Amino acid sequence: MTVRRLPALDPLGALLGAVGVAALAFLPFVVFKSNRIVPGEARALLDFLPAGPVFGFYLMLALAAGAALFVANARLRLACALLGVIALAIAVAAAGNALTPPGNKVVRVAPGAGFWVLLIALGLMTTDAITRLRPGPALRVLLLLIFAVAAGLAFASGAFDHLSIMREYAVNSDRFAREARQHMLLAFGSLGAAVVVALPVGILCHRVPRLRAGVIGTLNLIQTIPSIALFGILMAPLGALAAAFPWAAEHGIRGIGTAPAVVALFLYSLLPVVANTVVGLGRVSPAAVDAARGMGLTTWQILAHIEFPLALPVILTGIRIVLVQNIGLVTVAALIGGGGFGAFVFQGIGQTAMDLVLLGAIPIVMLAFSSAVLLDALVDLMNRAAQ
Amino acid sequence: MINIEGLSKRYGSTTVVDAVSMSIASGSITVIVGTSGSGKSTLLRMINRLVEPTTGRVLIDGADTSLTPAHLLRRRIGYVIQGHGLFPHRTVAENIATVPRLLGWERSRVAARVEELLRVFQLESASFGRKFPHQLSGGEQQRVGVARALAAEPALLLMDEPFGALDPVIRGKAQDDLLDIQRRFGTTIVLVTHDMDEAFRLGDCVAVMKQGRVLQHDRPGVLLTRPADPFVTRLSGTADRALKLLSLTTAGELAEPGPTEKRTVAAAASLREVLSDLIWSGADAATVLNPDGSSAGRLTVARLLAHGRQG
Amino acid sequence: MPKRLKSLLVFALLVLGGMSASQATVVVSSKLSSESVMIGQMIRLLLNASGIRTVDRTALGATPVVRKALIAGEIDIYTEYTGNAGFFFNRSADPAWKELRAGYELGSRLDYEANRIVWLAPANASNAWALAVRKDLARTNHLRTMSDFARWVSGGGKVVLACSAEFANAGTLRSLEKTYGFRMRPEQLIVLAGGETSATIGAAAARTNGTNTAMVYGTDGGIVAADLQVLDDDRHDQPVYAPVPTIREAILKANPRIAQIVSPLMASLDTATLQALNARVQVNGESAAAVAEDYLRSRRLLP
Repeated sequence: MTVRRLPALDPLGALLGAVGVAALAFLPFVVFKSNRIVPGEARALLDFLPAGPVFGFYLMLALAAGAALFVANARLRLACALLGVIALAIAVAAAGNALTPPGNKVVRVAPGAGFWVLLIALGLMTTDAITRLRPGPALRVLLLLIFAVAAGLAFASGAFDHLSIMREYAVNSDRFAREARQHMLLAFGSLGAAVVVALPVGILCHRVPRLRAGVIGTLNLIQTIPSIALFGILMAPLGALAAAFPWAAEHGIRGIGTAPAVVALFLYSLLPVVANTVVGLGRVSPAAVDAARGMGLTTWQILAHIEFPLALPVILTGIRIVLVQNIGLVTVAALIGGGGFGAFVFQGIGQTAMDLVLLGAIPIVMLAFSSAVLLDALVDLMNRAAQ
Repeated sequence: MINIEGLSKRYGSTTVVDAVSMSIASGSITVIVGTSGSGKSTLLRMINRLVEPTTGRVLIDGADTSLTPAHLLRRRIGYVIQGHGLFPHRTVAENIATVPRLLGWERSRVAARVEELLRVFQLESASFGRKFPHQLSGGEQQRVGVARALAAEPALLLMDEPFGALDPVIRGKAQDDLLDIQRRFGTTIVLVTHDMDEAFRLGDCVAVMKQGRVLQHDRPGVLLTRPADPFVTRLSGTADRALKLLSLTTAGELAEPGPTEKRTVAAAASLREVLSDLIWSGADAATVLNPDGSSAGRLTVARLLAHGRQG
Repeated sequence: MPKRLKSLLVFALLVLGGMSASQATVVVSSKLSSESVMIGQMIRLLLNASGIRTVDRTALGATPVVRKALIAGEIDIYTEYTGNAGFFFNRSADPAWKELRAGYELGSRLDYEANRIVWLAPANASNAWALAVRKDLARTNHLRTMSDFARWVSGGGKVVLACSAEFANAGTLRSLEKTYGFRMRPEQLIVLAGGETSATIGAAAARTNGTNTAMVYGTDGGIVAADLQVLDDDRHDQPVYAPVPTIREAILKANPRIAQIVSPLMASLDTATLQALNARVQVNGESAAAVAEDYLRSRRLLP
């Protein structure tokens, strides 16, 4: 009697499948709250949606789980994962619609733990499938763009408007745009300023090894100061500066808000860029530099044409670290009036409105993720050129 | 062409190069040879001021090198190092074009020169110029390094152990190629090595250095037959110096008139190769042939032995 | 070069601007809570309607941040709470805070002397910690004040109180017990982690584990929605936290109308009104600015 061998199980797929099934079975998919601050009760999909579409949704999830477990072909896995995500989005949007009495703006339908776990599982399956395809940097950026456009269109269509987080957005939409601009200004502005200072400092530390220990030691010390503390420490001197020089205050240099946030973020950004600049320059082949000197390139020419281009991938990696770090740290700036998405996070915490917290937190995560993808693609392009 | 006058380099209390004076003739290949720590590389690097002398000066065609800004001086001197030092992020063509571009040559002239050098160095495939250094073999990288050094048509080429990283199989070919290049372009070459065989093979003049001093600077034959210092003898090696001496002369130079022999050797072959050939074949004499096929004379075993007995 | 020129130009314009109109813009700020933001929006709309230009910097940050900003002159006006002055000036033990008028006079004097900050007219409400019972329970047992509550509890009333750890352990509960002469037994307390009154209110509304009393802030929006009733602190055990607009003296001198514009607003905001307004923002999720404008119109406070 021949023994039939089971098809090989994909380990990640097994994990995700198990997690997904558990989420569907034991965790609430949506939570219905009669008003904004009441804890809310779990609702099962079958209670309020017609059976046909609900089973269609379960089928899509099963398809995704099956692909996760048994299918080896990366493209097929990606397709099934995406179908799962779309089905999930449709399900949660339909739930929002169905549970909200028409014209009622008070009830809140929030995606429950089950939804989030399923989203994370399907998201992991998607990114894993994409990784298996090993796309080049340009393709990765394109995929990110497609995802952003698709998500943007989905939200703009109003399909999700009945969900609690979109309700919070509706109330705060003009502030949302303003805080988004502020968040990016703080994150990119401080990064820009830091790069302008850190690159020359890094080059100096590379040339003069004696300086290295002192500079990097000091920057390390700064890095260990908790962010809230540093923001607080900066308020006094900047406030004094603003009081003494009114024109400084007019240009936004005050003890609260943008100025202390930018200064603190600038200080935090220095170490990764300086350290990576030193390391990157250190990895440039000494033979190439010696040959360049011997051929008659000046010190500046060697720096600009040989050392810097060869060190660039490592330096860019440092910048990527800083950007993602800063996007997260800007959240704390809201505590000192700096604005940004953190404003929603802290307001939500104060009012015990988790949806407001999510309204702040999810854009931060998306922004950090996108920045990481874009900069990684840039580093990859540099690496290919500088081989 | 190059006059080195009392050149010294001291680091604190250590003297690396000790009052070296020598003259290097235009168009010649001078090999500076010594063990590691002898100061040979430092001496070489003082010629193009990669190391600044503590005392002494270098005159190139009568001009003191310390009077020109260092980087401008170096653009007129070719420089090749052991690790070839090619720029990894630039193509072969861009590497070679580095100094011409620095000197402001027009694009067409640069491109033509790159083409010419690729041809001369037998790096001929049409797409070779667009390759990156990491795509080349060790031998190809070394050749590109030399081509890059010669790109701006310098009168002087400095080479610091240029063949050290090559495996023995291709090292000989690379050395022969260098001799060809030198004959073609007439560049004055100063080459540093620790390999005495290489020195004898390549050098019109060989300078032996020990502990910062030049012990002897003369033609290779003189170093073999009249060594100025036991160290020179040791470096040359006593085991087969007769054969070494034979390898310094070509058949064409020693051929004497005589009857035609059955066995033939090329005029360019070294006496050592001729002797080896005669021993192997069992003949006592051979006719020396010019490249065009005409006879240049003949060589006998006796004459060869007599030549080798000069020491 | 162009940047320096621009700064110089701006500076020159500023000097000119400063010399001409005494009516500069007023920077209206507030703390993060929805009540603070709402009152801040009300003040801003009133000033705008009276022809005073404002800059909206509501929801600036936590109390220390906003307070520092006011003292440093980076914002011009925000709504503080009278009882907080006890912490600002290290005099929290002073009994004056327990009475609205006395606390207002004391705080007003201290802040003016120390920081040249003027306290405008306060609202007749208190956002202090308080106990709130389910309305059905209040009706059955005639509970209106803390004294009633103490009597009921001491008489064996079946009380189950949901509160925070800080409330139970850091002295507030003990102080109430001492003043009103009652004692809570451990099994009558449900101590929740964190200090969210929305959780305690929710527990009382849902009667979780028998909860029928909740720790609240006096003007919480959830109170009305959960059908609770705040017990009046008739023996003044707790400090009063009445909303009071605080403004820099220089701004008030430049725009003396501000005091008259704001005082009818504050007079209209009593506890019940604030509870109802907070309910709309916190519970219904309406925007604070929209609720503020709506309220001003309904009270015809906008000229």
